[in-house]
Parts: sequence; structure tokens; C-alpha cells
Amino acid sequence: MEVLKEKVEEEEAAEREEAAERAEGARMRPSEVRKGGTIMTQEMLRDLEKKLSEIEITVPGRDSIISEDTVDTSKLPLSYQSNTPKEEHLLQVADNFSCQYSHLCPDRVPLFLHPLNECKVPKFVSTTIRPTLMPYPELYNWDSCAQFVADFLSMVPLSDPLKPPSHLYSSTTVIKYQKGNCFDFSTLLCSMLIGSGYDAYCVNGYGSQDLCHMDLTREVCPLTVKPKQIVQKKEMAPPKKYSVKPPRDLSSRFEKEQEMKKQEGIRAEEERRLRKEEARLQEVANANSDPLYGLRVHCWVLVLSGKREVPENFFIDSFTARSYSTQDDHFLGIESLWNHKNYWVNMQDCWNCCKDLVFDLGDPVRWEYLLLGTDKPYLSVTEEDDNELNDDDDVENLGKEEEDKSFDMPHSWVEQIEISPEAFETRCPNGKKVIHYKQAKLEKWTPYLNSNGLVCRLSTYRDLECTKTLEIKEWYQNRKDMLDLKHINEITGLIIDYFKPGHPQSLRMHSYTSMQPETDRIMEFYEKARVDGLIKREETPKTMTEYYQGRADFLSYRHVTFGPRVKNLALNSAESNPRPMVKITERFFRNSAKPADEDVAERAFLILEERIQLRYHCREDYITASKREFLQRTDVDSKGNKIIMTPDMCISFEVEPMEYTKKLLYQYEAMMQLKNEEKLSRHQAWESELEVLEILKLLEEEEAAHTLTISIYDTKRNEKSREHREAMERVMHEEHMRQVEAQLDYLAPFLAQLLPGEKLTRGQAMRLKDECLSDFKQRLIDKANLIQARFEKETQELQKKQQWYQENQVTLTAEDEDLYLSYCSQAMFRIRILEQRLNRHKELAPLKYLALEEKLHKDPRLVEFLRGYV
Amino acid sequence: MNRLCNSLEPKVMDDDMLKVAVREQGPQEEAGQLAKQEGILFKDILSLQLDFQNILRIDNLWQFENLRKLQLDNNIIERIEGLENLTHLVWLDLSFNNIEAIEGLDTLVNLEDLSLFNNRISKIDSLDALAKLQVLSLGNNQIGNVMNIIYLRRFKDLRALSLSGNPIAEAEDYKMSVLAYLPDLVYLDSRRIDDHMKELAELKHQYSLDELKHRENQIQAKLENEQDLRKELEKHRAAFVEHLNGSFLFDSMYAEDVEGNKLACLPSVGELLEAYKDKFVIICLNIFEYGLKQQEKRKAELDTFNACVHEAVRENQEQGKHRVAMFEEKHLVSLSAIQDEADITSSEMKLVEYGEDITELYNVLMTLEMQLVEQLEETINMFERNIIDLVGLFIENVQSLMVQCRDLETHHHEKLLEICINTLEKILKGETDEDLPDDVRALFVDKDTIVNAVGTSHDIHLLKIDNREDELLTRANSWCTQLVDKIHQDEISRNRRRVREINQYIDHMQSELDNLEYTDIID
Repeated sequence: MEVLKEKVEEEEAAEREEAAERAEGARMRPSEVRKGGTIMTQEMLRDLEKKLSEIEITVPGRDSIISEDTVDTSKLPLSYQSNTPKEEHLLQVADNFSCQYSHLCPDRVPLFLHPLNECKVPKFVSTTIRPTLMPYPELYNWDSCAQFVADFLSMVPLSDPLKPPSHLYSSTTVIKYQKGNCFDFSTLLCSMLIGSGYDAYCVNGYGSQDLCHMDLTREVCPLTVKPKQIVQKKEMAPPKKYSVKPPRDLSSRFEKEQEMKKQEGIRAEEERRLRKEEARLQEVANANSDPLYGLRVHCWVLVLSGKREVPENFFIDSFTARSYSTQDDHFLGIESLWNHKNYWVNMQDCWNCCKDLVFDLGDPVRWEYLLLGTDKPYLSVTEEDDNELNDDDDVENLGKEEEDKSFDMPHSWVEQIEISPEAFETRCPNGKKVIHYKQAKLEKWTPYLNSNGLVCRLSTYRDLECTKTLEIKEWYQNRKDMLDLKHINEITGLIIDYFKPGHPQSLRMHSYTSMQPETDRIMEFYEKARVDGLIKREETPKTMTEYYQGRADFLSYRHVTFGPRVKNLALNSAESNPRPMVKITERFFRNSAKPADEDVAERAFLILEERIQLRYHCREDYITASKREFLQRTDVDSKGNKIIMTPDMCISFEVEPMEYTKKLLYQYEAMMQLKNEEKLSRHQAWESELEVLEILKLLEEEEAAHTLTISIYDTKRNEKSREHREAMERVMHEEHMRQVEAQLDYLAPFLAQLLPGEKLTRGQAMRLKDECLSDFKQRLIDKANLIQARFEKETQELQKKQQWYQENQVTLTAEDEDLYLSYCSQAMFRIRILEQRLNRHKELAPLKYLALEEKLHKDPRLVEFLRGYV
Repeated sequence: MNRLCNSLEPKVMDDDMLKVAVREQGPQEEAGQLAKQEGILFKDILSLQLDFQNILRIDNLWQFENLRKLQLDNNIIERIEGLENLTHLVWLDLSFNNIEAIEGLDTLVNLEDLSLFNNRISKIDSLDALAKLQVLSLGNNQIGNVMNIIYLRRFKDLRALSLSGNPIAEAEDYKMSVLAYLPDLVYLDSRRIDDHMKELAELKHQYSLDELKHRENQIQAKLENEQDLRKELEKHRAAFVEHLNGSFLFDSMYAEDVEGNKLACLPSVGELLEAYKDKFVIICLNIFEYGLKQQEKRKAELDTFNACVHEAVRENQEQGKHRVAMFEEKHLVSLSAIQDEADITSSEMKLVEYGEDITELYNVLMTLEMQLVEQLEETINMFERNIIDLVGLFIENVQSLMVQCRDLETHHHEKLLEICINTLEKILKGETDEDLPDDVRALFVDKDTIVNAVGTSHDIHLLKIDNREDELLTRANSWCTQLVDKIHQDEISRNRRRVREINQYIDHMQSELDNLEYTDIID
């Protein structure tokens, strides 16, 4: 190494000029470019500086986000607290590199190579990246991964927005405290992305103010962007050979043109107005531009194409988890980038932000690498040839000479990154996160954090200051009533609830302004889950419209008009006093089993007028449909006889007049049938009303109780399953204990008396057995005695107490007496139990004794000695 | 029962008896009054019950065209007759009669339920027409032959059968054999058949059943084969080239040609004939293939035409419907407005307006129709031109191919003549060493005879070819004219129908309006 250094130094003097020129050519700082664009006087600069210093004050003066005393460094593993020789070597290499770099490019800021870690040990940035594949399948793709990192950590701005931080903590510590700056975010995200197979890099560069402050207030919330409706162009079928010619157009072409011109004028006017408006808004937005534009240090992640089917390079901002194209305006320059294997310094000019950068890391002219020998992903063969030709290029040599060819990046010093399932589920610190967008606010919660199942709320505002609410969208999870999304329009007061399949009334959507019955509302249903095939029910104060599908009676539509409620003083609840129906209109699909002339398409019951109107389906090649109207007045003729049916009670128009339909009998029968059906329809309409009431009641109950469902696989939350599991465990434990007891070696104490290694003789065995049995006998007797003693003691006490009572009976208060009585009953209970136990023991003791004897006879250690004696 | 009835006087099914039955079984109460007022036509009756009437002969039922259900049980009927007109009959009950043979049911194709319980029937037959039969009751009869069960296999929908009380039912194997031969049966003698029994029965009669099935399958296959052949021929006929895909025409040329056949046995004529036949058949095949191709073309043309016309008509119809719907919507509102209007002058104004609306609707609908007629006429004319051109082209090409046939024939004729004359010369010179049959030798008497014979043969051949050509031409031409005529006819009838419909609708509207005016005046 020393040799190398000397060599370099020798050459340095000669090459300095050239290098300086090169560096001059490749000026990195976009700010300087900007300066060229806007001429700044010295005063302005001073002003700016002043302003800057003011801004600085607001930023907390801490160097690191996690104060050092909170990190207990003593508990960290050894790799955190010290460097291995290899790491030391690497640091030397890096120092050397940095030294030469600053020498060659004096006007560029020093490289971000080896910040201190939490134990104040310098660590090379590449070794801080610890590629890890998370055990959660949700974190396999970059978008979900980035979203997780963005949610999981809370953002802390850099202490000095113009410099990279002096400390870079390990990802394990960052995860532990759940907060970090952009470098911590990016390191963690990069570790995860590399772990799941992406070609990802941490980028140290310059970003816009919004980016550095995680300020999304100028961005449109992605949730509010409506997906573009794909306009499917209907392909006009080519006119067939015998297509009829359209009828001649007789309208004036001149008039049309005039009309067109007029329309165009109006449109142009509108457009101009819009453009003006836009320009004005643009101006407002530009007015508060950032004085530190192009100087703010930021760190983000670059993903290169090639691996994991990534089609092209893109950036991920680790704060917000949004992906940007490499040409995006937010990214103003790149200083260096690194992954777990190598470190590259950008040698390209960033005058046009990142738009012209080529991410060909194998090209040493554009990207100066720190270590040789790692893969050069993009260097094609022809470029290699070029490199060989340019071998005398000093920067190239510089890189190569200081390279120890056999040197590899040491393994990461960071421990395995682990995220507990609880932390993974909770995601955001404290389970809550708020993001402000342009005219919108997004709040997120962990599932089960809110008792009503709310997980996400998006509020949209009318104004930029976010004071006037436009609408609120609330997403729910795990609701028992399957509520998925609640959409509240603050202006109209309209609330729309969307439900997932599985609601007890198979509700799909419910849009309403108030929960009061008989107001405007729309309910949609999952028609497949309903027996009656109802799709949609619309209500206004006076009407109710229902749409059906797939019914056996081909009903498709029912419209009911209600009249004013008849005042009924005794009963005025909606249930017992239904509104009178004025008109019921029903429509039917075509029933192909019937001829069109007999298949009713629409029937209207005008209940007050006692009229029934029928319209039939249209025949295949006809344009008019049959109609029939029944008047069901029951009059009395001049002689006082009831008129049953007269020809003027049924007015009909028939497309193809039939003979039988003219008959009064036919008409009479049809009318009778219709009367029955009217009753049925009225009943059904009434039932529908009741159903609405029932649903509303159910919804209200659910809203009040808002119970959440817990999956049976959710072992932590599911109370029942936990109880069950615990019970199972207890049972298992008891079972185990019992087994241990059963396996208790009753011979052990007696065998222990023998000398170790001594062979058991027959006499000894006999003695052993006898001893064991007598011992057991003794124990049984002891137990019996114990119970007996307790029994006697209790009895005595009771007797004493009774005696005492007898003596003092007269002087005792009521309370004392109560006490005495309760004591007596308890004592009696105890005595009885003891008595039972004694009896039971007496019964069982001989049996137990015999059982033991039997067991001893069968004991494998004694069996051969005792065989003859049984 | 029958004996009891016999003691009584047999009744005749006359009009009075039918009228009484109709009245008794017709609508009751209020509806009955209406029915009485109006009278009921026999052809509107759907169900008729004539039991315990001592009827001897079924008669006078021809008016009941729409009858669905007829009960004639518990009579003394001896023959099934007079039911030919009741083609809609679904349910027929002839139980407890004295019927001896099943007959007279051939027109009742819709019959699903037939009861012939307690009769004197000894053989099940004449039921072939009843393809929809589901329930057949033949209990208490004199059926004795097991083959009767096999006869019932042809009824694919038969689900319930009763045969108890017949001699056949007394055989111990009766149930098993019925189950085996009629596997689709669900009820036998009013009992549900259990699957286990069915399996057992099948196992038991497996051999005879397999044989039976095999035979049935063979018959079925044969039928299908024949049908396929017929279909194929039909297709060829539609292309006007039937029997041209082989040597059929050639064979027919020689079928009536006595001399030709005689001369075929001359030496070297056989080879000549063979070569001739090959060439001829190739040309025939050409015609055949060309014909099929042209047929496809014509069909495609016709299909496009039909589709286009259909589309145009449908579109027009939609427009018409839309207009009518619009009018009706307005009409509903205006009618109620007129009725509610208290002021006479304004109500009259509205009436006038309404009348104008009707006239306008009429004009619009008629304009639409006229427009369609014009459009269709143009299209039809175009199609007519095209189809005539197509057929003309087809005929021309076929004619040119036929000319080739004729050339071949002439060529063959010349060759044959040459050979014949050579042979004649040889025979005359006595050089011949072959044995010719006597009748052939008879031709070689002199030159005239042989030339005449060959000429006759040639003429016959030419005639055959001409005939075939003529047939093809006339049929193709007539098909073409018929098609065009039909299209014109259809269009005209469509137009008439639509105009009538529009007129009818407008008339109805107008009369409603008139009624309104009338009531207004009365008020």
C-alpha cells in the first residue's frame, strides 16, 4: 500500500494539471450552474446566507437522530464496537481514495465514505448495507417493500441539510427506534431490495426541498387520481356488400358549418380562460421557490434494470415510497452511489439535474469505482476496448493502482435485520401515520387499532389550506358487517357505504343522507346472494323503485308511488301504519315460453282509480305492442243487479286481434287474476318497506356496536382460540404430570439403599418388596390418621362453639348469631367432607395396597426373583 | 262394473250431452253467468269429463280442437275412434271400458298420459306416434306376451307404467324383466323403483339385454348412415351436380346402348373404352367440384344479403318502436291533462293538438317505412343482378365442360368407327381368327350396318349428355328465378304487414280520441 501511495505521489505532480482540467470539465454542482443562469450579486448572496442561518435554527442541533445516550452501545455485538483487520484495510483504501479524489477534484465536496456508527466506530457505507430477504411474502416486491419502510420509520430531517450526516447507524438500531433520516431509510430499503434480488443502490445526491422534507403537499394524492377510463373504440364493422344506403341527408351544410364555427369560438374562449387560470396557479406555485435549491443533500435508492424483470432504471424515494423516473425534476444531482459490494463516484456533469446521467456503472469515465474486481454490470466489449486504448488516462490509472486486486468488500458488520410479526403488522410507529397531500390528507391506522375497524381515511379539501372539507373516504377492515368503504360528501351530505360480500342482507352499496326511513336512499345488493334477485332499491320520500334480475317470474322492475299517510292517532309508528300505495308499476323481461301477445311487459296498478293497465311485449317483427286496460269499478245496473263485466270495462288494443280475447269471460278471468296479483304486489311492496326498516335497524345496531371479526388463524387476537389453546396446553401439562407420576419409581428409595453395582439377590428382592409394601401400608395408615385427626379437630371445635353459644345465647346480638350460624353450617360442611374422604380412603386403601403388590410382582427388576413365590 | 252398465241403455254422445257436460264443468258463479250470457264455444274448452255416461261410441268430439284433457272412463266404449282431431290432447283417460285393441291414436302426438286400465287389450301396439308419452296405464288387461315390454323401449320419456292384473304380471320374472328392459322407468305399478332392484334386474338379464341393445344400435347406425347419404345427395342436388362425382353419367350412357355394348367386345375396343371412360369421368369430376364451389359462393352471397336486409329491417323497426314509445309517453300525459282540464276551450285546444300528434306520428312511421322500402328495393335489385350473373357464369362454365365431353365422345366415335371398319374388312377378307359372338358378328354384314350401329350408339351417348346438361340448366335457372321471386314476395308482404300495423295503431288512437271528444260533448 505504501508503495502504491508513493507511486501515486510521484505521478501526482505531473498529472495534477490534467486532472484539474478534467475536474473542471466535470463540474458536479448544479448550484453553480444555476448561478450562471441567475446573476447574483454579493448582497443577494449575503441575504441568502442570512436567511439560511435563520432556517438552520429551527432544525434540531443534534448530530444524529437517535441521541447517543439512548443507544445502549454495551449490548451491541462486537462487530458494531470494533473493526476487523479487513475493515481497517478497507478504511485505509477509502481514505486513500478520498485523499486523491479531493486532490484531483478540489472543488467537489468530500465523499460520504465512512460515517461513524452508533458506537462511534467508522464504518464503510457499503458494509452498512446488509442484504436481507424478509420472511414476509408481502415484502417481496419493491413497491410493497418501499411502502413498508416508509410506513415503518418516522422521518427525521438531516441536522444540516447541506451536508451528509456524520453518523450512519445500523439498520437494526434504526428498526429498533423506528426513526431515521433519509440515509437510514435508504440503507434499510436498499438492504431489503438487494435481499429480494433487485439491483439496488443507495444514492447520495441532491434533492428538491419537497423531497428532503418529505413534503407531499404539492403532490396530488395518488388515491384521489381517478383511473383513466379506457375508451374502447368501437371498431366499425366494414360495410357489407348489401348494406342499405343511408337515407339522403337533407339538412343544410352551410347551417351546420355556421353552428360549428360558433361552437368552436365558445370552446376557444373557454380554453383561453382555462389557460390563464393555469398560468396564474403556476405563478403562485413558483413564487415561494427554495433558496437552497440544488444544495440540499438527500439520499434515495436507485434500482437498475435487468434483475427481477425491471424494464428500466428508476429511483425510489425512501421517505414516501414513490417511484420516479431517472429524469424526474425532484432529483438535482448525484454525488456517489453504493451497494453492498462497491462504491461509485459520479464523474458526469449534473447541470441538467439527473436527466442526462447514464447509469452505466461499468464505464469508468462516468463512474469512478472504489474497488476493482467486482462486477461491472454494463461494460460492453467495445467499451472495454476503448478503455484499454485510454489506459494512460490518469484517473483510470489512479483507480487501478490503488486497487488491491485481490481485495473484496468485507462482509457487513450489521446483524441480521429482523422485524417481528407484531412490528410488521403494526407498521407505523404507534400504528398511526398521517400524510399531507395537495388538498388532501391521508391517515392510516393499523388494523384493530381503532375499535370500529377504521384503517385509512382520506380527506379531500376544496382549498389549498385544507380548511374546507370536500369529501371524506374511510376504509374499514375486519368489520363484521363487511363494511369496506364509507364515502362522505361534505357538500351534499351524501354518504355512500360499500360492503364486501357477506352482509347478512347481502348489501353491496348504501347511499343515503340520513338513516331515517322514507328518505332518499339507494341500496344495491349482491343479487346472487338474494333469493328474490333484487339488485337495487331506490327510495325517495314518495316512491320506491326496485330492480330485479334472474327471477322465475321475469320481474325486472317495480316502482311504487306512495300517497300521504293517513293520520292514525292510535298507531303512528311506520311499521304499523304503512303509507297507502297510489300506483304500482311492474315491468317484466320477455318470457320466451309465451307468445309475445300474452307476455306482459309492463303492468300498472292504479290503486286509487281502480284501474289496471297492461302493456304486452312487442312481437318479433312489429313496432307496436298490445295494450289492455281494466276498470274494476263494481256498479249496479238500473234493476239493482250487480254488473259483473261489461265490454267498456276492458279497453284493449291488439296488434293481431284474436277472437277469444273479445270474450267477456276471458276478460273477466284475466281481471280476477290481476286482482289477485295486485294484492300480491302490494304485499311485496309492503314487505320491501319492512325490509328497508330492518336493514336500517341492523345498520344502526352495527354502527353502534361495530364488532370486528377475527380470523381463526389470528392466534394472538382470537380470544376464543387462545383460550382453547391455553386449555389444551393445560390439559397437556396435566397429562404430562400424571404420566410423570405414573412413571414414578416406587422402588427407587429402596434400591438406593443397596450399594451401587451390587447384584440383587433373591433374599434382597423379597426384603425389598416387603419393605416397599409395608412402607406403603404405613403411608396409607398415616393418611387415614391425618384425616381422622382433622375430623376430630373440627368436631371438637364445633362442639366448643356450640357450648359457647349455649352459654351466651341470651346476650348475643343478631349479628353474632348470624355469624355463629354461618360458622356452624360451614363447619358441618367441612366435617361432612372429611367424613366422606375418610370413608373413601378406607374403601380404597386395601385396593391400592393390592394394586401395588400386583405391580411389584410384575416389576421387571424383581420379577425373576419373585416368580416362584406367587 | 261393466256388467252393471250393460243393464242400462247405452247413451249416444250427442250435442246436448256435450253441452250439459261443458256447462257443468265450466266456470261457476259470476263467471258462470257471463259464460251463460255469451255461450261457450267447444273449441275454447281445454278439459272435458265424460265419465259414467254409459257411452258406447265416441262421437261428435271433432269441435274440441284445443282440448288438452279428456276423461272417458267408466263407459262401455268398445273402439277407440273419433279422436283424430284432438291433436293437442295431453291427457287421455279411457279406463274401465271394453276396448279390445289400441288404435286410432296416431294423430295424438302430444299425448303424455294415457290410461287404458281395465279393458280387454291383449297386445300393445299402434302407439308409435306418441313420442312424448310419459305415463302409460295398462293394468287389468289381457296382455300376455313379454315382447310387449320390448315394444315400450321406443318411448324415451316413459317414466310410469302399470301392467299389474295382466297375465304377463303373473310370471315370476315379470318385475325383473320390466326393470331390465325399461331402465328409464321410475314408477312401476304405482311404486317407486329402487336402484338396487334395477341393478339386480340388469345383471340378471344382461345377456338378452346386450343382444337387444346391439340389434338396436345396428338399426340405429344403419338409419343414420342412410340419412347421411341422403343429406349428401341433397347437398349435391342443391348444387345441381348430383351423380357427377363418378362414372354414373358414363354408365347411364351405355346402359341403353345395345350396339355399343356389343361392339365393346371387339379387340382393342375394350382398351379404347377404358381410356375414354377415364377421361370422361375426370371431366365429370371437374364439373362436380366446380358445381360445389359455385354453390358455396351462392350460399355466401345469399347469407350476406339476408344478414344485411335483416339488419336494415331491425334498425328501422327500432326507430319505429322508439317513435311509438315517445308518442305514448306524451299521450299519457296529454290524455290525463285533457281529462283534468275544466275549461272547455283549452281542453278542445288540447284535443286538436292531440289529433295533430296522431297525424304526425302516422306520417313519421309511414316515412320510415317508405324509406326502408326504397332502401331494400335497391339492395334487392343489386342482389338479383349479382345472383343472376353468378348462375349465368356457372351455366356457361358447365356448358364449356360439357362441350369437352361431347368432343371426347366424337373422338371416341371416330376411333370406334375406324376399328369397326377395319374389323369389317378383316372379316370380309376372312382373315379373322378370333371368335366373335354371333350377335356381334351379325353387325359385320356390310359397311352400312356397322356404320349405322356405331352411329346409333353415338347418338344415344350424345342424347344422354344433352339431357344431363339441359336438366342442370333448367334447374339452375328455375332456382334462380324462384329465389328472386320469393325475395320480392317476402318484401311485399313485409311492407303490407307493416302498413297494416301502422294503420291499425293509428286507427285505435284516433278512435280513442273520438271517444274522448264524444264524452266531452256529452258532459
